[in-house]
Amino acid sequence: MSPREDLAAAEAEAAAGTLPPGGRLAELAAVRALLATVDQAAPARQPESQPEPEPEPQPQREPESQPEPVVVGPRSGRRLLGWAALVLAAGYCLLAAGWYWQARSADDLAYGRARDAVLAQGRTALTALNTVDAGEAETGLRDWLAVTTGPLHEQLQRTGTADATTLRQAGTSAHGTVTDAAVTELDTRAGTARLIATVSVDLTPKAGSASTDRKRFEAGLARTADGWKVTSLTAVPVGAS
Amino acid sequence: MTDQEPRRPRRWPLPLALVLLVLAGSCLLVLGDRAEAQAEANRALTDGQTTAEVVGDVGNALGRIFSYTPADTAATAKAADALLDGPAAAQYRSLFAQVKQQVADQKLTLTTRVVRAGVTELSGEQAKLLVFLDQTSQREGKAASTAAAQLSVTARRTGGHWRITELKAR
Repeated sequence: MSPREDLAAAEAEAAAGTLPPGGRLAELAAVRALLATVDQAAPARQPESQPEPEPEPQPQREPESQPEPVVVGPRSGRRLLGWAALVLAAGYCLLAAGWYWQARSADDLAYGRARDAVLAQGRTALTALNTVDAGEAETGLRDWLAVTTGPLHEQLQRTGTADATTLRQAGTSAHGTVTDAAVTELDTRAGTARLIATVSVDLTPKAGSASTDRKRFEAGLARTADGWKVTSLTAVPVGAS
Repeated sequence: MTDQEPRRPRRWPLPLALVLLVLAGSCLLVLGDRAEAQAEANRALTDGQTTAEVVGDVGNALGRIFSYTPADTAATAKAADALLDGPAAAQYRSLFAQVKQQVADQKLTLTTRVVRAGVTELSGEQAKLLVFLDQTSQREGKAASTAAAQLSVTARRTGGHWRITELKAR
């Protein structure tokens, strides 16, 4: 039993009142004070007994290095290295993001995409505008309205019913194929474009033999919420300026 | 033990963050590269200067090779040699051989004018165009007549000038 446990037991006894408190407690306090001085002196004694066991566990814990403060060294160094790598990686990622953003938002790319959209949707529209089945003139008219906007759309709306009647009576069906097309003007800010196209139209009359008509068109297009639509369509005549 | 406990959860996030950052960066580089390649693939209209240049060169070439006078078919043939290349050159030679005699016999004059032209593709040294032409032909002593013609043209840049390599009537 250590002297301190003895002391604790004696204190407990004193507190329980089995002994006259006054003198006994004072005595205990004196012993405690003495023990305190012994505690302080203890470290002086320890170096004598400890130097032998210590050299063994130390190399096991940290092979490369010795006393406490240096043991922390490589660990914090490694952590520093990790952070440096993280910063480098973040920088790399940031640069890549910048490059990507620049490449993606480049005017040329957006403009090129708009050009491709005009060409694709313009071709589809011109095919529709050169195609009509005499038996289903109303369907043809609906298709025309779907690919047009602005002046041409309004004109088709005005004359549509009459056109459908004429088509049905004439009985000639037409099937258009865009053989080539090119965007000649594109203003992405205004949302307008011009397109030229050659169209081969197969005509099938009610009676008689079928024929093929080759046409050249210039179309004006406008950007709508629903894509590019045709605002004007003219067959480029011979002698056009 | 008390020293390692707070460190253990931190051991994974750092390498993980590193891997994710490098991965994300690489993906962005690839995507950016692809976006740029897409923009480069067709520079029709996006490169206004080159677009105008090829339209000008091809328009001039078509005007010269499809214009002739009975007196000077040699000049037209010579121009064609300089302005045409590849399949278009061979095609033109065989066509012109047939026409040449007719031109001389009938005193035929042909003038070709570009009405509309657009570039569909422009990449590196090659371009594709659609050209609308008006061709006015006149026999000596008779009224001139004008007809429409449409050509799909492929051109290649050699020595700073665009030469026509393919021609297709539309």
